[in-house]
Amino acid sequence: MSMNGFDHGNRGIGVRDHQLILPSVVCSTRVSSRIAKEIGAITFAHQHGCGFIGNDVGRITDYFAALANHPNVSSTLVVGLGCETIQGKELADKLLAKNKSTNYLVTQESGGVQGTVDTGVAAAKALQAFYQPTPVVLPRLHLGIDLSNDDLKVDEIVAALTNVGVDVTVAASHKNSGLNFSDLMEAGVHVILSFPDGNQPASGFPLIPTINVASNSPLHLALSDDFDLSAGATSEEIMEKIYLVINGELTKVEVIGAGEIIAGREVRSV
Amino acid sequence: MSNQLTAFERADGRWGLRNHVLILPLHSALSATARKIADESDGAVAVSHDWSGEVDADFDRIIKTFSGFAANPNNYAVVFITIGTPGELLIIDTAKKLGINKAEILNVAELGSMGKIADAGLKIANSLLKELKTQTRISAPWSALALGQECGGSDALSGITANPALGVASDRLVELGSASVLGETTEILGAEHLLAARAITPEIGAQIIETVARYERSINYEGIDMRGAQPSRGNIEGGLTTLEEKSLGAAKKAGSAQFSGVLEYADQVPKSGLYFMDTPGHDTEQLTGFAAGGINLVVFTTGRGTPTGSAIMPTIKVATNTTMATAIPDLIDLNAGTIADGAKTLSEVGGELFDLILEVANGKLTKAERGLHHEFSLSRMYNTVIK
Repeated sequence: MSMNGFDHGNRGIGVRDHQLILPSVVCSTRVSSRIAKEIGAITFAHQHGCGFIGNDVGRITDYFAALANHPNVSSTLVVGLGCETIQGKELADKLLAKNKSTNYLVTQESGGVQGTVDTGVAAAKALQAFYQPTPVVLPRLHLGIDLSNDDLKVDEIVAALTNVGVDVTVAASHKNSGLNFSDLMEAGVHVILSFPDGNQPASGFPLIPTINVASNSPLHLALSDDFDLSAGATSEEIMEKIYLVINGELTKVEVIGAGEIIAGREVRSV
Repeated sequence: MSNQLTAFERADGRWGLRNHVLILPLHSALSATARKIADESDGAVAVSHDWSGEVDADFDRIIKTFSGFAANPNNYAVVFITIGTPGELLIIDTAKKLGINKAEILNVAELGSMGKIADAGLKIANSLLKELKTQTRISAPWSALALGQECGGSDALSGITANPALGVASDRLVELGSASVLGETTEILGAEHLLAARAITPEIGAQIIETVARYERSINYEGIDMRGAQPSRGNIEGGLTTLEEKSLGAAKKAGSAQFSGVLEYADQVPKSGLYFMDTPGHDTEQLTGFAAGGINLVVFTTGRGTPTGSAIMPTIKVATNTTMATAIPDLIDLNAGTIADGAKTLSEVGGELFDLILEVANGKLTKAERGLHHEFSLSRMYNTVIK
């Protein structure tokens, strides 16, 4: 089956065409959400960007860079506050070295909240107009599997996918889907197939369509409407769903608009 | 202007300065649905977060944060959205024990899907919002007000203008019988001996010293020198040179009153007196801890300018300098830069701030409230990466 993609230049070919409004600190999440809402872009609330030290400075900077350089992203507008640890301009410079479709602005230098929203909307529209995606065929799919449910074996589905030329990355180091999603995002996967722990609901990652497969746990049975596939889904059914989602079908989580991200950290907050 | 404080009286004798309906998702995957309910309602508020029920070393701290946040007296009602895990049920139970005016529980597993939660939540939120209109403010004692002191994006003028002005207002409130809380342990490092000398007993003084020492030990344990990370780059650009200089200025927020005690992060704040709470310098983690402690109004001084606020606590922004207050006026409620300009005295601006605190307590909306700045952050002590 053919897979539709979008050519996003140096970011690679993606299966979604998202413009990302990236708050470089929690303090600019509200401004970012106002910009995103006005132009139909993606953003998310997070609590990072300031008040951390040691290895986390490099870790979170790399995490933000991975978000901005993800293949499902067409262009990125970084919105900083100004006095935070991760400086919006430095992050943007780092991103620009790889992708020209990046811009940044800083609230403390853009006339406050309304000034930043106005400047941001204009800047984001300019990026949109200049970086129109070229529809292409996705040559090779990189699929991520979140295996928070460690009672489960996915060897069969991994083998079936590998057989048809899909690259598969499995994230199973955490019981928390959110942290596994972050690992998969940094690996650059196009789509996530999530097998959440039986005590966890369906969830997703904002830039990456996430297909949730239920288990037979009481919670999952009660929440069956929120899952894309039920516990008994065969490899064929899973693959069919993956192809539908690549070609534009929205996952349940995409419809809800879930969008929390969690970047792992090593050191206590300061 | 009337000098009378008015507030909403709660059944347990506490007082709210606001009457919020809070939509509180107890699992990160429910955040989007909570936001949707708040956005579509006639004025409910919601927060988003990244906790998925992990039972790890931070579990107790997170349970305490959520339950205290729900029990804040500024909430007329809390609509909990839960998948029903034991940790989530513990939050609801703890909040009820702390004293919660009105609680509604929407269990996703019982209702069957996020979509059904969104419909049911919107109906409940709007009915609560209609119901709360029948409650009016009544005259309240000064102990109804619990003030949180916060500074963020400090500059060289912070310790000369906005922070001492807040100190003047805080002293007056403490004298009248309100509670006032200084936080941000990072930012009293180097000034702790001055604060300890103002404790009402030697034991409390020793506790202040130990809280700061404990904080520094926990950072040193990571092999990092706190004094290398602070002052932040933004602070240095604002003209601060050392952590000690920043701390000496930050401590001015607490005025000259005596310290009646030391509180752990998110501990319930007593009714009257000046306290020190052990919180991080991260602005939204600190604000979240204050809210969880029952603080119902915050004064936030800033040199560089920052828009952040709280879903449930009115947050007054005080600028340290006129340049910033003029450049980004939609963030700033009061400009204390007039002290450095020579236009006003410290006691005049302290008086203006006291009057503004009273006005805001009585219902005047702050800039952060009007801008719907509802930032929320969980403070974590342990790493989330290495098992």
